[in-house]
Amino acid sequence: MNEWIRTFRQGIGIENPLTVLMIGLCATLAVSTQVQNAAFMGLAVVFVVTMSNILVSVFRNAIPSEVRIPIFIVVIASFVTIVDLVMKAFVPGIYQVLGIWIPLIVVNCMILGRAEAFAYHNKPLLAIADGLGMGIGFWLVMVVLATIRELFGTGAIVWFETTLVRLPAGYAPPSVLLLFPGAFLVFGFMIAGTRWLGERSAARAEARACRR
Amino acid sequence: MPKSIRLVIAVLVACVSAALGLSLTYAATAPRIAEQDRLAEERSLQAVMPDADDFEKVADAALLEAAAAAAGPTDLKDVYLASEAGAHAGWAIKLASRGYGGPMQLVIGLDTSGSVTGVSILSMNETPGLGTKVLTESWFIEQFVTLPAGFDDADVRALDSISGSTRSANGVRNGVAAAGRVYAAVLSGEEGGAQ
Repeated sequence: MNEWIRTFRQGIGIENPLTVLMIGLCATLAVSTQVQNAAFMGLAVVFVVTMSNILVSVFRNAIPSEVRIPIFIVVIASFVTIVDLVMKAFVPGIYQVLGIWIPLIVVNCMILGRAEAFAYHNKPLLAIADGLGMGIGFWLVMVVLATIRELFGTGAIVWFETTLVRLPAGYAPPSVLLLFPGAFLVFGFMIAGTRWLGERSAARAEARACRR
Repeated sequence: MPKSIRLVIAVLVACVSAALGLSLTYAATAPRIAEQDRLAEERSLQAVMPDADDFEKVADAALLEAAAAAAGPTDLKDVYLASEAGAHAGWAIKLASRGYGGPMQLVIGLDTSGSVTGVSILSMNETPGLGTKVLTESWFIEQFVTLPAGFDDADVRALDSISGSTRSANGVRNGVAAAGRVYAAVLSGEEGGAQ
């Protein structure tokens, strides 16, 4: 159980797919212009990475290593298509906004990366922990990035036509935040921030160890 | 069993089970998806012509071909014949026009005299906060109804654009201009319900 929690927390913190491993960035930078889009895109990724991790892990002894990559891709593509169809049928509004980015989860290297690097070598329970941890880590970073970009890029955060937060009217939003250069800039600062947090907690742990 | 055959079987089994799972999901969701698509289309048609109570897709191939030629470089999708209480009330034109983030699906309503009754954006992939101003700044879409009957490209060019979303606004304007050309070239000579 301890190992389960450790694996789960790794994905959110010290092995975060976006700020530490830096995989699956293309969709992240493109979709993180609106909190609403980022949140649903993140949910779709959590589902796909967890389900594909489970399936790959359960059949890991039956999948020959020579053809593992095509099989992983088939598994991932199937789950993405399921998400795609279900969203189209039940939440057409969001589906319309996310558009091409849902099918593109297939080529999100983070999901293939977890199947290859973790699920293929570990038991299903741990693979679930890894999928959930990585997925939630992805979701968190994406939502924070989108919050910063939407709030300062448009001057307000809108969730399904309701304005949640609005900056004072005198604020003139710099549109660069909404374009790709802005995504890289904000994301760079977020990486710096998480590095700083990580180093600080590591230094503290060391100081504790020395006192003992 | 030779190794190569084992590999082929593994991939085959994976693909067949994936196909099976997908066809089940598809069968379960297809009716709902078709229903949602129909509703979305109905909503957009109703939005551009609030008074009309019936829309019928035009099936005349020669007419559609001529209309598509007039609509170039935008991509004409469908032409609908709108009627109100049994009488011909106008046309709704569905087309795809190029915006900043790819094609924008537009529906443009025209009355029998060729003036715009409404424009609605069925789907688009414009930059949120910039290109999406064509939707959020509602005056932009609403200004098209001020176009004169039988308007041409120059009339559309004279309308206001939105700073910061030039290419998205041009996408909508080009779509409306194309609808005007379709009306002038094809629809103005058609009698409603003559098909």
